[in-house]
Amino acid sequence: MNLQLIALAVFDGVAYAALVFMVAVGLTLIFGVLRILNVAHGSFYAIGAYVVASVGGAIFAAGWSPWLAFPLMLIAAAVVGIVLGGLIERLLLRRIYDKEEALQILVTFAVFMILEDVQRLVWGVQPYFEATALQSLGNIQVFGVYYTVYQLILLPLVALAVLAGLRLFLRHTLSGRLILAVTEDREAATAIGIDTDKIYLMTFMLGAALAAFGGALASATTSVLPGIGADMIVLSFAVAATAGLGQIEGAALAALLIGLGRSFAVYLMPELEVLIPYLIMLLVLLWRPEGLFGVTQTRKI
Amino acid sequence: MLEFENVTVSLAGVRVLRNVSFKIDASETVALIGANGAGKTTALRTIMGFTDVSGEIRFGEMALTAVAPAKRPRLGIGYAPEDRRLFSAFTVEDNILMPGQVAKLTPGELRRRLDLIYEILPELRELAARPAGSVSGGQGKMVALGRALMIGRKLIMLDEPFQGLAPALARRYAEALRRLRDTDSEVTLIITESNPGLLKNFADRALVIDRGEVRAGSLNAEEAA
Repeated sequence: MNLQLIALAVFDGVAYAALVFMVAVGLTLIFGVLRILNVAHGSFYAIGAYVVASVGGAIFAAGWSPWLAFPLMLIAAAVVGIVLGGLIERLLLRRIYDKEEALQILVTFAVFMILEDVQRLVWGVQPYFEATALQSLGNIQVFGVYYTVYQLILLPLVALAVLAGLRLFLRHTLSGRLILAVTEDREAATAIGIDTDKIYLMTFMLGAALAAFGGALASATTSVLPGIGADMIVLSFAVAATAGLGQIEGAALAALLIGLGRSFAVYLMPELEVLIPYLIMLLVLLWRPEGLFGVTQTRKI
Repeated sequence: MLEFENVTVSLAGVRVLRNVSFKIDASETVALIGANGAGKTTALRTIMGFTDVSGEIRFGEMALTAVAPAKRPRLGIGYAPEDRRLFSAFTVEDNILMPGQVAKLTPGELRRRLDLIYEILPELRELAARPAGSVSGGQGKMVALGRALMIGRKLIMLDEPFQGLAPALARRYAEALRRLRDTDSEVTLIITESNPGLLKNFADRALVIDRGEVRAGSLNAEEAA
C-alpha cells in the first residue's frame, strides 16, 4: 500500500465517518434521554437525503444558484426533525415509554418499515443523484491525491461543529442542561419542575434532525435509493454500541474508528468491507461490554 | 393547607397507602413517623405526583391530583428525597439554582433566594463550585435541602433527612432547620423519620404511618413504640 493509497483510504474513512457520526450521535442522544433504541432513525437519514436530492434537483434545474444547496440541507433537516420526528414522538413513542424494551424496538421497527414504503410511494425506486453541492466546492490535491473539498474538508468540519455545538448546547444552555438532568434522573427532574414530556419531544426532534442532516449531506456524495436508511441504521447502531450508548464524544471516535476500518478494508481486503464495522464492534464489546466510553450503570429502582 | 382524603396508593399491585385521610395546616412542622417500608416515602412521592392515586389531595384550594407532576413544584412545593438525587453533571450551586431557573425566576429573585439559602446552610457556600457528584452523602443531604428551599415557598418535604448522617452533621442539619424556621415562619414542613425522638424538639406534632394507615401520634419515642 503506497502513500497515495493510504491517503485515499484515510480521506474516504474520514468523510464517511463524518456522515455516520451525524446519524449515530442522534441515535445515541435519543437513547440517552428517552431510553429507546430508535430503529426508525435510519428513515430520518433516508428522508433527509431524498428531500434534498429531489428539491435540490428541481430548483437547480430551474436555474437557481447552486449555493442554495447548503441552506436547503439545513432547512430539510430541521423540517424532517421537527415535523416527522415530532409526530412520531407525540403520537407513538409517548405511549410506550413504560413498556418493555422488546416492544419498544418492535414499534420503532414498524415505524421504520412504514416509512420505507412511504419513501417508495413518494420518491419511487429510481435513484436520485444531485451532486451540485459537491461540485460547487471543487477539488483539492493532498499527498498527490485529488479529492473533493466537500468530502475532505466540509464534512469533517461540519461533524466537528455538530460535536462542539452539542457539547455547548448541553452544558451551557438551560434547555441543554435540562436534557442532562432528565437523562440522569427523570423523577428528580420532574420533582424540580422540569416538564419531561417536553424534554423528550425536544430531544427526539433534535436527534431526528441530526440524522436527516446526515442524509442531506450524504445526498451530494451518493445516489439516493431505497435501502440507504437500513444500511445506515445498522452502521450507526454499530458506532453507538461501540462507543457506549449515550456517549456523544465517544460516538465521534467510534465513527472514526469504524469509518477508517471500513475504508482500509476497501483497499486491502475488499471482501471484508461490509463485515469490518461489525467485527470492530464485536471485538470492542467482547473486551468492554459497555462500549469504549460507556459506564456501567446501576439503575435506580 | 394540605389535605388527604381517602387516599389509596398501590405500588406494583401492593396497597401501600390505604384510605388515608389527614390534614396539615399552613406553617405547621409535622413529623411523619413510621418504620422502614411503612409508606412514608410513598406518601411524599404521592404529593409530588409520582404514584397512581385514588382519592382526593388538596393543596390550599386546589385539587392537587389534577395538577401535572412537573407543575407541582411551581405551586411552592420543595422536595428533598431520601437518596438526595442530585444531578451529578452539575455543580452544587447549579443544582440549587435549577428549580428556580426552571420556574423562570428573574435573576434578581434567583440571587435573593440563593443568598437566603446560603444563610440557612452556610456550608453550601464552600461547596458551591464542587461537582455535585463529588460531595459526601451527608453534604448531599444539605444540597438536597438547599435545592428544595429554592422552590419550596409554601411546603417543604424532607424524606429521612437524618438517615445516615454522622452526629456532627446531623447537628448542623438540625441547626439549619431551626434557622429555616426562624427566617420563614410561614412555610409548612413535613419531615419523615423512623426515630421520632430526633424531631421531638422541632416538630409541632407527629403523624404515624403504620401498615398503610395514618393516625395522630406522639413525638415521644417510648410512647410511639
